[in-house]
Amino acid sequence: MGYYHDMADINGTLLQVSELTKHYGDIRAVDGISFSVPRGTVFTILGPNGAGKTTTLEILEGLRPPDSGTIEIFGKRVRRVDRRVKERIGVLLQEANFEPYLKVHETIELFAAFFAHAYATRDIMALVSLTEKRNALVKNLSGGQRQRLALGVALVNDPDLLFLDEPTTGLDPQARHNIWSIVTGLKERDKTIVLTTHYMEEAEALSDYVCIMDHGKIIAADTPRALAARLGKETMIEFTADQVPAAARNSLSGRFPQLRQDGGTITLEVADLVPALQHLLGWAAENGITLDNLVIRQPNLEDVFLTLTGRRLRE
Amino acid sequence: MNGIIAAARAYLAVSLRERVTLFWFLIFPVFLFVILALIFSSTGKQGKMNFKIAVVNEEKATVAGPDFAAIVVHTFDSLSTAPSGQEPLFTLLRPHPGETTAAFRARADAALNRERITAVVVIPPGFNGAMVARLRASYATPTPIKVIVNNSSEASRVAAGIIAGVISGIDREVLIRAGQYVPSDETKPVTEWTGKNKHAVSYASFLLPGVILMAFFTSGLFGVPGTILYSRDRHILQRYFVTPFTPLRYLLGFSIGQLGLCLLQFALLYVIGRFWLGAQVNFGRPGAILFLVLGFFTFLAFGFLVAALAKTGDGGMAIGNLLNIPLIFLGGLFFPVGNLPLALKVVVFANPVTYIAAGLRMSLGLGGEGMPLVASIAVPIAWIGICSLIAARRISWGVQ
Amino acid sequence: MQPDRGTADLVGGTVMSALITLIRTEAVRFARDKQALILMFIFPLVFIIIFGFLMKGSSTPRLGVVVAGSAAPTVQAVLAPMSDLHVIDYPNRSALIHAVEKGQADFGLYLDGDVLHFVYNPTQVQNNPQFMQIAAGITTQYNLARQRVTPIVRAEKVVVGKNPGGWLNLVVPGIIAFSILTAGLTGISGHLTMMKERRLLDRFVATPMRPTMLLVAIGAVRAVMAYIASLITLITAIGLLHLHFAVNWWQFTVFVLAATVGSMALGTIIALFVRRPASAGNIANILAMVMMFFSGVYFPVELMPGYLRTLAMFLPLTYMVNGMQVVTGVSAMGAARFWTITAALFGTGAILFPVLAHYVVQPERR
Repeated sequence: MGYYHDMADINGTLLQVSELTKHYGDIRAVDGISFSVPRGTVFTILGPNGAGKTTTLEILEGLRPPDSGTIEIFGKRVRRVDRRVKERIGVLLQEANFEPYLKVHETIELFAAFFAHAYATRDIMALVSLTEKRNALVKNLSGGQRQRLALGVALVNDPDLLFLDEPTTGLDPQARHNIWSIVTGLKERDKTIVLTTHYMEEAEALSDYVCIMDHGKIIAADTPRALAARLGKETMIEFTADQVPAAARNSLSGRFPQLRQDGGTITLEVADLVPALQHLLGWAAENGITLDNLVIRQPNLEDVFLTLTGRRLRE
Repeated sequence: MNGIIAAARAYLAVSLRERVTLFWFLIFPVFLFVILALIFSSTGKQGKMNFKIAVVNEEKATVAGPDFAAIVVHTFDSLSTAPSGQEPLFTLLRPHPGETTAAFRARADAALNRERITAVVVIPPGFNGAMVARLRASYATPTPIKVIVNNSSEASRVAAGIIAGVISGIDREVLIRAGQYVPSDETKPVTEWTGKNKHAVSYASFLLPGVILMAFFTSGLFGVPGTILYSRDRHILQRYFVTPFTPLRYLLGFSIGQLGLCLLQFALLYVIGRFWLGAQVNFGRPGAILFLVLGFFTFLAFGFLVAALAKTGDGGMAIGNLLNIPLIFLGGLFFPVGNLPLALKVVVFANPVTYIAAGLRMSLGLGGEGMPLVASIAVPIAWIGICSLIAARRISWGVQ
Repeated sequence: MQPDRGTADLVGGTVMSALITLIRTEAVRFARDKQALILMFIFPLVFIIIFGFLMKGSSTPRLGVVVAGSAAPTVQAVLAPMSDLHVIDYPNRSALIHAVEKGQADFGLYLDGDVLHFVYNPTQVQNNPQFMQIAAGITTQYNLARQRVTPIVRAEKVVVGKNPGGWLNLVVPGIIAFSILTAGLTGISGHLTMMKERRLLDRFVATPMRPTMLLVAIGAVRAVMAYIASLITLITAIGLLHLHFAVNWWQFTVFVLAATVGSMALGTIIALFVRRPASAGNIANILAMVMMFFSGVYFPVELMPGYLRTLAMFLPLTYMVNGMQVVTGVSAMGAARFWTITAALFGTGAILFPVLAHYVVQPERR
């Protein structure tokens, strides 16, 4: 486990951010956000591209100073993240690359040398399943292997707090699940993780807390279940149908005011499932519409985001 | 400290692994060194050069008396063979069986015109008679042997001098045999060399410091901005700086790595120069060490300047490419830069390479005397200062 | 009949207009490609200016002399008729040595009694052999004169040929040939690999266009640009360095085009084997650089050791340099030989282009 347990983090809060702002010219990339991250949790910042997630993380990683606001990290208030803090955090940058002509083990050794304390290289390689690739040049790694290396490097100093900025963007499903299982393992080892993503499934699979960010502001923050519960006791009915005449659509939205249409997919939020289904089936028969891919499900974070912003996450 | 050493090692490993940097920083300097040494060491040395010439004897040797023309032909003939392992001085174009002298002359002239041969030596008609007459009356003008050369060919120019030497050798021999010249009364000329060492310098020795500085210069000019800028473009630097590692430490590590690379360049070139090409240069002198170190820091700083001026890695390479050739050649690394028009002189005097090269050569006793010692130390130091200042203000590390 | 003719027109029209569009696109792309422009237009000028002035500086050897003592008249009599030597007088030995050391004189001569002392600067390594040859000539004549003998036989130098201007006149066409080679090599290999990497080539193959058309378009634009660049280089050399060339314009045009096409064929070979544009550019650069040293661009091939002369025979650049010297009128060559070289360069391109085009664009080759 960790080298130090001098946790000054009273109340179990490892990171607390208040009124953080960062402007680029006229653009308010981060617009007065506040949140706190309890120890041993996965805290996810969810939002579309350009929401300000990466800027927030870059401030917390020490790459950029904030314009205003306070950061309290490991129980100490800092103006900007300094070397002492950096000794205790681990970072996976969104766009970061590694020197293509270094080998896997050399890359890990290089980063290990930057810290006062670090894991042995072979332990890190085992942790991210890169032992077999230890002598491969970085340039010859696949996308998934490269991302596992990035994760390994982020863990090299046995950080108390990990920042993972879109760790699975651009990966295929299998590579994505590899990363997820490593993150889950870390959580079990009581690591605190701040994650950004625009994949709703990822946030749902990994997070203890989710905050939804849009246009530099936090528009909601809670546990995934509580967020979904904000939609009340509603159930979602979803189907695809080609060529729904306007009149038919209007008659349906008369009955279900919460109707959303996204291309050929129609989503209904319903409080009472059985009568709603009956109505829907009747409507379909009446208008000669085939209900393809009919799904009945609980509301998810995507629905929450849509309800709050009127937009989808990946627009 | 660990991090700095690790960064230095990583930089060195990458430089040696990446084929492009490996080529331009290590292989190319060696290649250039060996090639120039091979080409120029043999220039003007008998046994390593060969000239295709034709000797046309237009003298009809029917008159009784000594056949001087045949002696001339025989002399050139004997110079067209050489001990094995050496090249004969001449390769002779010979008349075909039954070919008339006029036809052979025409063929030789045509070959010279097309640069198939480098010279045509023509022994004119009446040569023997003229020689006999000249031997009897010493006031008569010397008998000419025509040496026809082609100005389109450098080899032809060199051949003309060598042939003239051969002919004056024949002249001397005939005069001695005729008792008109006493070889024992000849004075032997004395050869003196300027400079501290007072002896001749082999081309390899002369070249070695220049090649070493060129290697330092190119690795500074391309390696420094290339590594920094491409690492920034690819967000490699940012990844370093979210750890406790700082830009200053990175810079230190990087510079140590660059020093390692330069030491490697130096060692490689020195070993090849010393043990293969026979260069004899004593880099152990304090002055030489001073200028090698000064050169390293100047070119390192110069690289930082380029890194500060360029926005991207490609931009840095473009700036490097624009500066490389002019600064190397107008820095006197390979050619003397004495007689240049003003505009180019300005480049010569603004160019840090000029001062380092002159200083190093001076300290090795290999020239460079034209430059005051103070200037060759002060100007590079000024460059280091200016470059470091601009670099410190302008290089962006991808961190705010 | 009508539909047939219509189809034929359509096909012909499509190919021609598509080719014109391709050429236009390629021209625009070239004009925007800073690196290609620098390589083709700026580099040769930089080389011409730097080497031109570096080489111009050292034309007639300068002999510094101190003439004093009883043997002085003899030495003066020997030196007086030497027209291709620039004689500078110095008051004493130390002034002479200083001048040779600082490069104000190339080498020096002073008398110690009746013994000739020749002073050389050890750093003039490249030129000292020539100076020593001159010194040997002076010594011979001095010794003859001391014994009051005039030579019985002498070499009478007769200069023929087309190049009274010296080595620099030969270097300029050499640099032009070298620029054509580099531009052809790097241009084609870099461009094709770039298209491969960005999958533009795939997109292109998916159209009914023949791949050769693409190469023809690239080749046409490059050839025109190379021609213009050669003209600029030549004009700069004439204007700035006051060199004279008797250019045979029609042969010049044909040869520049042939050399461009030939170089591009070599570039296509690189594109065949290399994936990344950066590697292609590097390989092209390295090839060009190696060829430059052995093909008589800066050092006369004839003065190299035997094995390097043999190597030069196998390098296309050697022939390009020779040919360029011929068409700029500073060197001569048999007509048969010249046209063989031209045809070989052109033919290499004409044959290699379609063949290689076929391979380069094949997806499984990549």
